[in-house]
Amino acid sequence: MKFWKYFGLRLFTWALTIFIGVTFIFFIPRMFPSDPVETMIGQIQARSGQMDPAEKAALRKTLRVQFGLEGSLSEQYLSYLNRGLLHFDFGPSLMNFPADTRSIIGKYLPYTLGLSLTSTLIAWVIGNVIGLLAGFRKDKRSSKILEGIAIAIYPIPYFLVALVLQIVFAFVLKWFDLQSFILTNNGVWQFVRSLVRASILPGVSMLLLGTGWWIISMKSLAATTAAEEFVLYARYRGLSESKIGKDYVFRNSILTQITALAMSLGTVFSGSIMTEIIFGYPGVGKLLQSAILQSDYNMILGVITISIVAISTATLIADLVYPFIDPRIRYS
Amino acid sequence: MRKIIAMFLTALMALSLCAFGAASAESTEVGTPRSETLIVECQSAASSTAGQFNPYMQGTQNGFGIHQLLWSHLWEMDTVKGEQFGDLAESMPVSNEDFTEHIVTLRQGIKWSDGEDFTADDVVYTVNMILTNTGIAQNAYYNTVFASVEKVDDYTVKFVTKESFPRLSQKFGVTIWGNDLRIMPEHIYSKLDDPSQFQNSEPVVTGPYTVKEYDSLGNWILYERREDWQNSDVGVITGVEPQAKYILFKYLGDDTTRQMAMMSNQVDILCEVTPEALEVMTSANDKIACWYPDYPYATFDDPCSKGIAFEMAKAPFSSKYFRWGVALAMNFDEISMNIFEGAGRASVLPILTATTAIQELYYKPIEQWLKDFELVLDDGTSFNPWDPDYKDRMAEKLSASGYDIPTDPIEREAMFGIGCWKYAPDVAEKLFVMAGLEKKDDGWYYEGQPFTFELTYLAETEAQAGRGTLAAYDQLIKFGFNCTISSVNSATWTTNDQTGNFELGGYWPTGGITKDIYSQINGWANDLIVPLGEIGSGQGSRWDNQQATDIIHELATLSPDDPKAYELGIEFLKVATEDLPFIGFHSGTKYVPTNSTYWENYPSSENAYNGPWWWWSCFKFIVPYITPVQ
Repeated sequence: MKFWKYFGLRLFTWALTIFIGVTFIFFIPRMFPSDPVETMIGQIQARSGQMDPAEKAALRKTLRVQFGLEGSLSEQYLSYLNRGLLHFDFGPSLMNFPADTRSIIGKYLPYTLGLSLTSTLIAWVIGNVIGLLAGFRKDKRSSKILEGIAIAIYPIPYFLVALVLQIVFAFVLKWFDLQSFILTNNGVWQFVRSLVRASILPGVSMLLLGTGWWIISMKSLAATTAAEEFVLYARYRGLSESKIGKDYVFRNSILTQITALAMSLGTVFSGSIMTEIIFGYPGVGKLLQSAILQSDYNMILGVITISIVAISTATLIADLVYPFIDPRIRYS
Repeated sequence: MRKIIAMFLTALMALSLCAFGAASAESTEVGTPRSETLIVECQSAASSTAGQFNPYMQGTQNGFGIHQLLWSHLWEMDTVKGEQFGDLAESMPVSNEDFTEHIVTLRQGIKWSDGEDFTADDVVYTVNMILTNTGIAQNAYYNTVFASVEKVDDYTVKFVTKESFPRLSQKFGVTIWGNDLRIMPEHIYSKLDDPSQFQNSEPVVTGPYTVKEYDSLGNWILYERREDWQNSDVGVITGVEPQAKYILFKYLGDDTTRQMAMMSNQVDILCEVTPEALEVMTSANDKIACWYPDYPYATFDDPCSKGIAFEMAKAPFSSKYFRWGVALAMNFDEISMNIFEGAGRASVLPILTATTAIQELYYKPIEQWLKDFELVLDDGTSFNPWDPDYKDRMAEKLSASGYDIPTDPIEREAMFGIGCWKYAPDVAEKLFVMAGLEKKDDGWYYEGQPFTFELTYLAETEAQAGRGTLAAYDQLIKFGFNCTISSVNSATWTTNDQTGNFELGGYWPTGGITKDIYSQINGWANDLIVPLGEIGSGQGSRWDNQQATDIIHELATLSPDDPKAYELGIEFLKVATEDLPFIGFHSGTKYVPTNSTYWENYPSSENAYNGPWWWWSCFKFIVPYITPVQ
């Protein structure tokens, strides 16, 4: 009974979070001193250098109708809640009109998810294992070396790591393409092969910095836990170091890391922008950046709505599985 | 520890193993022979509408080689002469006396890539399709212009306009980048329910190339030369076979990647780079070159001069004395050095850009007038602001720095322009006072309040404009103004311009290379001005000058070939110069590098058969002359 009460309350919070999030993201872009129609006309004019005033007026009128920007703000908002939130139909992308926003996001989202989720999870596992060793066996030389490496790598700005990888492995050694080159039209094998090759440098760059953070945070947690009295007691009982490390230190330290993992999944969308730009990797990060610069309201809404729903859901799941990991936590 | 080292080594090994399959020197990533593939950088970002080649479906990325290689216009542009020529049309249109009926004769012998003849049916169908399909962006405008379009015979079309329309070819042919009127195959499009929703992923074209393959993620498009290239528009007009069997248009990513791609011969033609990037590339690879083989490297014929625009609906920017004060408060020599180390042709007259053609047609003919032009000051004196010595000063300065600068006055004019505005801060002070400002010990005041204003520039692109605005800011601070500067991203840049949400800005409200300047200036008519905060169809600068407006209205009624149109153009330039609604710095200065490792004979200053405009539709007329390195 307590579980269902907790679940209902948590579900309500989840829905409320999503509602508030998407409401903000609907109104905020519309408060910008920008206009997708003017941006598009500006681009046309910048290219052609001149546009007849009559042509400009006619084009403006046509685009406003086609983009669905004619109705009142409240009408647009209600329409969005119905179509966008309930059916994930965000309408046409304004910068790629009349292409459907959902289909464009659908094309690029798997790449973002594939790369970011994989690298985040691998970084999490490696970082926590190394962090545990560094924190639990902090006096060992190997622990100090690993911690030193993590501390040295972590503060390096991401773009620097990415650029160094690109310059060394793509430009100098020529092992990889300068820009991700994924063959999508030449069969499954070619696709997989090119996808793996295109994902290695972006993945390694994300892994290097991501791992550093997990090592540092886990090392700190493990060191604190290792100094707890129950760990001392376990040693007095004569338990092996591996059992203490696994069952006493690791299990008590990992909870915080699970929460942090759930939260970091939110950066799967925003955190991949730099990777996508530097390595030319396909994904929704670049899509979002272009949408903001071109005031493509529908695309902004689409990408961020999916992001809000994903983060909220990840947090919800983390909250619900806590009691299974730590019996001390109860649904109350 | 040993386990971890082993894991690391395994990962490194896997990394190197996965590196197989990278493009070799002999073939491209898409598997075509490198020696047969011309690789061109795409100006726009990766396309989210991959496989969409229909220019009448919105969202089509025309700059991805689509309008450069596939489609054709009725009239194209000779960018060197600054003149149009017939592309699908055989000649320029012949109009009746009141310019309401226009006969266009089409070029014979052109075939679509599926073997069908190109005829008047295609032209009539395309224009009628735009007129009747509200899903096409140009629909509303075409309906304000055209009453009808009819086929006279297989190669003759009659356009009837609702009102006098003397500029049919200028408006519906190419004058700079391209034009919206691209002729589609009637035998294919007429079978569609809604051409505005047709992706056209296997286009049938009149241009010399067809689509062979494209990346569904939008990063590249591979074009293949038509087997019957002789029947394309380029084949019929030039008779020259394009040497590149394949042309790969590619999105290359950020600036660092673009440079690395060029240095490692992975691309043959880049779009614009900065001079610093060019220096890095040329020092690493001697096959990389630009328009000039040595300083100043760049071409100066891009038709948009960069400088400082004013929001003239706001005081004191509405005062011509203020604008002239700004012009004379800035040291143009220092501005030039700050932008591109002195490289750039001075293009200081408002609205018209000093491209090679416009400098000859408009700048030089009023040179004497500029030498005689006087600003009358309220202390009873007058001042001639024209400085004809700029080119010689810059030549000497740069020669002293070790650059090889021509001594011939004509060549110097081509390189540095015919002159600029003098640096006269003492006169500028008087002009600012005439504009209503007051100078006190602690700075300038306007209407009793400390006077400050903001300069804005576009953050992401157009280095020339951004650097120019920063240089202007430095000059105005040095002069004694308490001004500020901020960058604006592209999301708000255009809207700010149109609503008048700026004071001084690095906008470029100029552009054009044709003798007839009507299309360049008609947006400056004062009857198009709307109040601040509203968006109109004219210039956001809101220049309110009745004399200029009268000239624009009179020009609208004249044929571009009428000698009086040219006289009015000259008159307009004088009126604009007196009022100075825009302070130009230099004509569009573009560093557009080429790589001659695999291909050569690109257009250059020494071989100027065309301009280096890879992103314009005229690229298809450049391609036949680019030849493989033997």
